[in-house]
Amino acid sequence: MEAISELRRQIENEDASNEQDAQKGKYMTFKSGNEYFGLEIQYVDEIIQFQTITAIPETEDYIKGLINLRGKVIPVVDVRLRFKQPPLEYNDRTCIIVIYVNSMLVGLIVEKIAEVVEIREENILPPPTIGRIDKAHHKYVYGIGKVEDGVKLLLDPDKLLNDDDLTVVEQVSEVNLVED
Amino acid sequence: MAEGFNTDDMLEMYLVENEQLLEQLQESVLEQKDADCFDEESINEIFRTMHTIKGSSGIMMFDNITAVSHKLEDIFYFLRESHPENVPHMELVAHVLDVEDFITNEMDKMRNGEPVDGDASELIAELDQFLQMITTGAAEGGTEPPPKNVHEEPKQFYIAPVASSASRFYKIYITFFPETEMANVHAYKTVYALKEIAEDLLYSPEDLISDTESAETILHEGFRLLLQAQSTEEEVRSIIGVGYDIKQVDIYECKAEEFLQGFDFGDPGQVMQIDLESSVEDIEARKQDSENAAGVEEKKPEKPKMAPGDFVIKSKEPGKPKKLAKDRNKTEKAAFINVSVSKMDELMDLIGELVISESVVLQSPDLKVPGLNLDNFNKAAGQLAKISTDLQNIIMSMRMVPLTNLFQKMNRIVFDVSRKLGKDIEFEMIGETTEVDKNIIEHISDPLMHMVRNAVDHGIETNEERAESGKAEKGKVTLSAKTEAGKVWISVEDNGRGLDRNKIIAKARKQGLLDDGRPEADYKDKEVYQFITLPGFSTNEQVTEYSGRGVGMDVVVQNIQSIGGALDIDSSQGFGSIMSLKIPLTLAIIDGIVMEVGKSSFVLETGVIKSFVRVKEEMMIHEPDGQEYIMIRGECFPVIRLGKWYGMEQYHQSVEDGVMLILQVEDTKVCLFVDSLVGEQEIVVKPIPSYIKKVKGLSGCTQLGDGSIALILDAAGLIE
Repeated sequence: MEAISELRRQIENEDASNEQDAQKGKYMTFKSGNEYFGLEIQYVDEIIQFQTITAIPETEDYIKGLINLRGKVIPVVDVRLRFKQPPLEYNDRTCIIVIYVNSMLVGLIVEKIAEVVEIREENILPPPTIGRIDKAHHKYVYGIGKVEDGVKLLLDPDKLLNDDDLTVVEQVSEVNLVED
Repeated sequence: MAEGFNTDDMLEMYLVENEQLLEQLQESVLEQKDADCFDEESINEIFRTMHTIKGSSGIMMFDNITAVSHKLEDIFYFLRESHPENVPHMELVAHVLDVEDFITNEMDKMRNGEPVDGDASELIAELDQFLQMITTGAAEGGTEPPPKNVHEEPKQFYIAPVASSASRFYKIYITFFPETEMANVHAYKTVYALKEIAEDLLYSPEDLISDTESAETILHEGFRLLLQAQSTEEEVRSIIGVGYDIKQVDIYECKAEEFLQGFDFGDPGQVMQIDLESSVEDIEARKQDSENAAGVEEKKPEKPKMAPGDFVIKSKEPGKPKKLAKDRNKTEKAAFINVSVSKMDELMDLIGELVISESVVLQSPDLKVPGLNLDNFNKAAGQLAKISTDLQNIIMSMRMVPLTNLFQKMNRIVFDVSRKLGKDIEFEMIGETTEVDKNIIEHISDPLMHMVRNAVDHGIETNEERAESGKAEKGKVTLSAKTEAGKVWISVEDNGRGLDRNKIIAKARKQGLLDDGRPEADYKDKEVYQFITLPGFSTNEQVTEYSGRGVGMDVVVQNIQSIGGALDIDSSQGFGSIMSLKIPLTLAIIDGIVMEVGKSSFVLETGVIKSFVRVKEEMMIHEPDGQEYIMIRGECFPVIRLGKWYGMEQYHQSVEDGVMLILQVEDTKVCLFVDSLVGEQEIVVKPIPSYIKKVKGLSGCTQLGDGSIALILDAAGLIE
């Protein structure tokens, strides 16, 4: 018995670590406002075209409603509204990034998908904290990744979905100052 | 049990299999509880079941279960071998059920991740005593007690491969039932079990654990083992054993030389040529053997022969079918497989999606080009549509399960309770093959249990009381089920004392439940009976082990209402009562009316809508605080405008442009104002994703024919 579970555990670990190795350090980046954001690729399930959304009454404004993903009903969040940026008309470049966090699927509406980039750990800086420390605790930007042509703000998807309101706009401008 | 085992697939498999075995066991035991003794078939079945459970529990190292099932196996071994007379049947039935309870209880603990610590010693002592009694009883009766069941608990440590002169060599073929899942793991169990006695063990296919294809190989070609051990064939058989998974075990004894040849069971001659490991003597000996074999028994080269050297192997007829294997041909029970509900949901989603894609294809604008000849296309399209409809129907029917298991559980409860209370009760089941959705069964199990207990405990009088009141027949509880008008009716009927109207009224008066202005006689019987479903209401003065605390019927009613069902009580004093549950066939699909407000679609369950009305502005009554009412046919209803309620952007302002729906939930009626109606259809209910916080008045969502999503309104929530 031990032999079986031992074997199985080994196999699973190997599989998992292989996959993680391949995905490690890769980030899906997208544009929202003037900034580029990055999501660790392991959270990204798929990217779909914009489709009709069924609104749900009495929810936060950034929760746009529900979409039908091949028979699965999943909620979608407008990232711009989440960041308290002014809403933008959806067009044919608008995409929905479907992410898998805490065993649920959620769609993120983004203005424009950029690319998948590799950011090495040493190129990731903690976000500079200005003001009270405890506020910094709740950030959904957990790091700033340096790449050749600029910086990407790395998002913690869990906090992105569940944190109480935070405005990224101010932080973004601060970050820009530092980087410049 | 080893650490970290709880999440293992093995445990899951163990639980599922044993659960099924125990259910079957209980069914066959209860079927024969009224007979004088078990027939041969069920004795065999119980024996086999216990044997299997013992085996798998041994592997999983649940020592208590192993010990208990071993004891019961002993008893049935004795019954099977010596057919003793004068076995107290009822006592035996009770023992079997006790063992089943014990194991079920332990398995529940495993499921919940609790330590499996049940104390089996008392149970074992009882079983021992019982075995003692029937063996001595049988001896007095003149029959010889049979040899003790020789299987020793395999407690030795694994012995490293050592050859000794007393070793015997076996070739073993194991055939699994073709429907066995994960045959490789079953095979590994066997290997593991054999390791206890093995001095050397080889098996093919070799890679059982990581190679999932080995399961296929095993099913098709059988599982082959080479075993070197000191045990007799009998002992080996007792370890492998034909069971629920293994169809047939063929054991051939062979010689060391053949053993060394490995798995080439066919032609030993060929193997010899490439055999470089054996000594010259070995090869010499083998040649001789094969010559002998070729001369004497050309067709069966592996048939055991007298072996040269210092050990003698008794010749045995190979592969003689054992009695155990005899009646395993009844495969109807094995015609089921377990599928997780989530997989079925996934399948249902996909089929729904298929239907939508189908309509997208069939109504593609490209087909509308004039001048196209679409005859063949239309024919094919018709065929496709038929297949997808069939698919939908099948997936729906797959979710339906018969009530049989649930009814069997009730059978058990009647048996237990009536025995403890000393009442003589007959139990009848009608329509137990009625099918309902699986999730409905989960919801009605507890309420039904309460009702059955009530019937046995309160409904049926004691034997003495029955005799006094001159009731000739036995007490009887009837459980029946039928489908009618899209609903399932399940009723529990007893021929006991019935409900006492006066007693209930008196109690209701004491609790202040009666309207002051209303004379007692004005209450209809059914209204009176409904009092017993109120919390804290029990007419039984004595609290018994089973009922009478007044926390039963209200819970029953609550549970039934939560799935959209109702409880109906009827009774006639002195002659019995009947309680009927009316429940929907399924929770997954409802009949709904689709309606539109602004750009959104909503669905309401058809049952709550009383009528649709077009209204005129002058029928409206406006209160200063904004609340609106409407007079329809002399009745005044509060009005909810759905668009306003949810703060939507566009919706019809004037009541003359839209439709009023009159909704009724229990006794409350409201009017719901929507823009337009789309139609009635069957709706597959899906939960709203948990990320979205609960919205008042919404109970779920669904996918409409065009792939868009509609929200399902919860009438009760709206009325609140």
